[in-house]
Amino acid sequence: MADVAHVDDHHDVHESTGIENRKLGMWAFLSSEFLFFGALISNYLLFKGRDFGAGTVYPRELYDIPFTSISSFVLLMSSLTMVLAHHALATGDQNGTRTWLLATGMLGSVFIGGQVFEFTEFVLEGMTISSNPAASAFFMLTGFHGAHVFIGILMLLSLYGISRRQGGLTEAQGLNVELVGLYWHFVDIIWIVIFTIVYLIP
Amino acid sequence: MAEDHAAHHPTPRQYVNIAILLAVLTAIEVALFYVEQGVEEFTTNMASPLLILLAVLKFVIVVGYYMHLKYEKSLVKNFFVIGFVAALVLYAATLFALGIVSGVF
Repeated sequence: MADVAHVDDHHDVHESTGIENRKLGMWAFLSSEFLFFGALISNYLLFKGRDFGAGTVYPRELYDIPFTSISSFVLLMSSLTMVLAHHALATGDQNGTRTWLLATGMLGSVFIGGQVFEFTEFVLEGMTISSNPAASAFFMLTGFHGAHVFIGILMLLSLYGISRRQGGLTEAQGLNVELVGLYWHFVDIIWIVIFTIVYLIP
Repeated sequence: MAEDHAAHHPTPRQYVNIAILLAVLTAIEVALFYVEQGVEEFTTNMASPLLILLAVLKFVIVVGYYMHLKYEKSLVKNFFVIGFVAALVLYAATLFALGIVSGVF
């Protein structure tokens, strides 16, 4: 534990702008992700209200709002556990950091499990990615979001594993917690937009 | 250092309060969805703008307090805002040109 240090948000090691390079890189990456998800959301809006003939199933006919609302709530709460993990590390609480990282990963897994269940239900109801352009746009948008959540879970579990093996995270690894946290919260805000535009707005 | 962190970011209790606020806003969103199912006049006039307003509020709260953008340097804020605004303008213009935006609101 001797090599384990508290994370310092303002301890800039590799920087020329006053902000750690990796952190600035993460913000730049997240900024570019707006264009990525913006394209997918626009694609969905382009097709959501269109008629593709009889005999095909549309996403709106199959939405289970209570179920998706609970999934959204779970993902929102995972943002709370993520920020608590970051706070715990900043105050030197390594056990707390591990606990909250694991909790965040588990909540993310619940969200992914819900999405797998939803997709399975939709396919069983006859709506596949090739049913019509609206269904295709829906699966592309929510599927790519789910892929982002899955990558986030892998990063969270990696941090948990490293911390458990070493008995804690070093200061350099502590920055990784902040970066993964930024990524995780970004995935959350994208879902806030998707939940409203795709599921709730008629 | 811990004191430094505490001075710049919310406390755990404040984080929990923010989460409660987010949960309440989500509940209002879902309630609005069911209201719009039953009141057609409300649907066409009010529901969509209100839902968008609530989503924007949740978005700003998460970015500001959980991502700590409120406490970041202006360079970071600019990175984030430029990407967001660029995407918003690009796709809003595209959807407007295709006549889709009027169908959303």
